[in-house]
Amino acid sequence: MGPIVETRNVCKTYGMNGIAVEAVRGIDLMVNSGEFVAIVGPSGSGKSSLLNLLGAMDSPSSGEVLFDGRSLTELNDWQRTTLRLKHIGFVFQTFNLLPTLTASENIEIALRLASVGRRESAARAGELLRLVGLSPRALHKPRYLSGGERQRVAIARSLANRPQLLLADEPTGNLDSQTGTSILELLRDLCTRNGQTVILVTHDFRAASYADRVLLLRDGRIHGETSLHAGQDSSQVLGQLLSFELQWGGDRSD
Amino acid sequence: MFDIAMKNLSTRKVRTALCIFAVTAGVFLIGVTLVMNNWMYSMMTEELAKYMGKLYVQQGGSSYPPFDSSLSQMVADAILNRGDLDLNIGNSTDLIFVRTQRGMMPFMPAQQMVIGVPAGKEPALFGTISASRGVNHFEPNEQGNVAILGSEFAKDLTISIGGETSINGQMVQVVGRLEKSSMDSINISAIIPLEAAQRIFSKQGQVSSILLTPNDFHNTSAIAASLREDYPSLSVVTQDDMLKEAEAVMQMPIFYMSSMGITGLIVAMLIIMSTMFMAISERTREFGTLRAIGAQRYVIIGTVMIEALIMALIGVPPAIGLVAIMSRMMETSLPTTAQLLQIISAAVFAAGIGGAYPALRAARVEPLEALRYE
Repeated sequence: MGPIVETRNVCKTYGMNGIAVEAVRGIDLMVNSGEFVAIVGPSGSGKSSLLNLLGAMDSPSSGEVLFDGRSLTELNDWQRTTLRLKHIGFVFQTFNLLPTLTASENIEIALRLASVGRRESAARAGELLRLVGLSPRALHKPRYLSGGERQRVAIARSLANRPQLLLADEPTGNLDSQTGTSILELLRDLCTRNGQTVILVTHDFRAASYADRVLLLRDGRIHGETSLHAGQDSSQVLGQLLSFELQWGGDRSD
Repeated sequence: MFDIAMKNLSTRKVRTALCIFAVTAGVFLIGVTLVMNNWMYSMMTEELAKYMGKLYVQQGGSSYPPFDSSLSQMVADAILNRGDLDLNIGNSTDLIFVRTQRGMMPFMPAQQMVIGVPAGKEPALFGTISASRGVNHFEPNEQGNVAILGSEFAKDLTISIGGETSINGQMVQVVGRLEKSSMDSINISAIIPLEAAQRIFSKQGQVSSILLTPNDFHNTSAIAASLREDYPSLSVVTQDDMLKEAEAVMQMPIFYMSSMGITGLIVAMLIIMSTMFMAISERTREFGTLRAIGAQRYVIIGTVMIEALIMALIGVPPAIGLVAIMSRMMETSLPTTAQLLQIISAAVFAAGIGGAYPALRAARVEPLEALRYE
């Protein structure tokens, strides 16, 4: 079985006020099914831009993005939207739940968009809320949920249509460390138990330590890659990551 | 789409209420237009029904009522005495019409007038309308300053029978007050002897028109043709002519009323559009999220359009209720089924146009752009 998602010398350049900004510069990347990959880099390194390309939310300026062997550059807007609906799940830093819908309805909407019937959608939403531990909060609207609870609902929504790939863009960015840890543990669990392929974008090495593989991104390029082994304790993992970052020219003082 | 639309409507109550109010107001104005048009048309046809089989001869180019018409009394007498026309002499007479109070708008009928009719010829003018007080006819050969008042003319006057009122600066004794009738022209009139009218309004030797009643109403057209041939400078007006003229006169008020209705509809549409634009702007991130998780553009368009349509349809029943109340107050018929369908179509049209552009704008936003929107 080939990789779920792959990039070949992909570049993305933004034109802002007549100045070209190269957010992504010639990245070759491959993520296999069932992997948990973290893309780490400081702000402005291009990690969100790369994630948007992987998730068919944006088109590359050059190079290719392949999803399950199929080039995304050949797809029109309708096809890319359908791909996101059926095969890719998104988790955003700002949760992005619909404020007028309850937790359950926020999950159901993803299913209804995929033409799943009302009853089946409700049942699947219930199942996913149980998975993320939020069954008692099914009828609450987002404003009555904590940050962590909202992110759990967002994760449940992203899993609604059983996507092949889950993309998480700084999912713990707006959460306190304890809540953030629980979210990362949930993502890790999804990968380990359910074989979900996850790509996590973060600036936080602690978050990255939950992944199987970490890619270091700087100035739009991958500067290094390291694999984390199951069974390592957290201090070993962090130590490995920090030395990895220093090896590639990092200047982290914390 | 429907679920999201309903949730948004129920959550954003003020915005929803504002749009519904706008639609109600706009649709009400259209309904008012239709009711007013119905009322004017029924009033006109009811009034003109009284003139079936009658002819009015008046100065060429003048309209009915012939306020601006002036004929020589000698010509009038000559026509009235023509034996070849086979006229019902008792119901044929010369008349003077003078407008004493104009309508509120230039195109609206007079609010008050004075009609001069020879004593003994009152039945020719107003048939068998009885008097609510006093008498409904003048003394034989009466030429003095006496008046019989129509019900509307007398309404605001506190004069008893035998009392006096002023007409064109001259005092006139009230001898009778008529019952309200279906003849609006009589209801708004003060009827005085022809000679008195000629004196008071300085129209000696003149009349405004001649009312002719044939013995056989089938002869109306033939009589009209004969008179037109013999008196080419005069205007011979039959009931058909009156109907055509009335329809022509009504074009302007119908146009004004329709303009009012259309303006109301445009205002409703603009309110919906601007409110929806505000809503779209507030919900940019929401639409971006929907697009990001896989909603096609038509889902966004459909959601916004459904909201606009629901608000419009909610606004229709209260508008129709208000129109029905207005119909009752004006004692005119309720809008017909076809007219109700017109009203509903107008509301749907307003919603469609008002919601379409904001919907298209919402659908055009790229998910990335929308998610970055603060």
